[in-house]
Amino acid sequence: MSALTTFIKSLVITAVFALVGGGLFLYSGLYPMGADVPHNRLTYWLLETLRERSVARAASDIKVPGDLNAPERLLAGGADYNDMCAGCHLKPGKTESDFTLGLYPAPPNLTLAGDEHGHEHTGDTENDDEAIKRQFWIIKHGIKASGMPAWGPGHDDERIWNMVAFLKRLPELSPDQYQILTARGQDSEGHGH
Amino acid sequence: MNMKTLATVIVFSTLGIALSAQAHDPKEHMKDAEKPDCAAMKNMDHSKMDMNDPVMQAMMKQCMNDTHNNDSEKDQAQADHQDNEKSSGEQHSEHQH
Repeated sequence: MSALTTFIKSLVITAVFALVGGGLFLYSGLYPMGADVPHNRLTYWLLETLRERSVARAASDIKVPGDLNAPERLLAGGADYNDMCAGCHLKPGKTESDFTLGLYPAPPNLTLAGDEHGHEHTGDTENDDEAIKRQFWIIKHGIKASGMPAWGPGHDDERIWNMVAFLKRLPELSPDQYQILTARGQDSEGHGH
Repeated sequence: MNMKTLATVIVFSTLGIALSAQAHDPKEHMKDAEKPDCAAMKNMDHSKMDMNDPVMQAMMKQCMNDTHNNDSEKDQAQADHQDNEKSSGEQHSEHQH
């Protein structure tokens, strides 16, 4: 019984020290907050795990439309991607921009296949499906403290699915193909908006 | 007085919501809209083009629209030119009388 009491006492003392130490560190201002100093490995792992688990759970119930391969979706989504996303997530033929150099975490280069920008999801239908749901959720809701905005408030689901459809094909596009698909031209009215 | 204030507030907030809803309308991006460079399709490797590929279909659709628009512009310009010639001809014949 006394051993159990000692164990509980030790546990409480350790918890109090951890809380006080954590609080002191928090208020000391010692943690570097600038985007030009990367997180340490532990913080990075904690934040990344928190983000990935949260997005995976929240996106799991999303229903993927059956017509994501429709050419109309590529044209509508391509024009929106070029206007809203290419500055950070790049376009074929570009390897960096001021945003990719300055943002932390650096926005993924979406002109590269999933395994090349850090998310292995190609070549497996189930993983592809998960990746598609994940992209839809991230575009719609954004990611806290990452520079990724929530586009949901100003864009309906169909418009976001169009962007997801375009993202699916983006890594295969040449600069010329990208230009043709993303140009709004004179008749963006006919692009499914 | 209170009703007037209430009505003004409602009108302004409705206007605000309506304007914010249009903020991301695709038409907003049309000011500096780029035209598709369809001439680049001629330089692409046609042996690798698959007409069943949605990317290919989308490019064809985009360029068909572009060609159609260019043709319409040309037709319009030609029609305008013919109208001008006709009206100047009429004016010319009026001067002869």
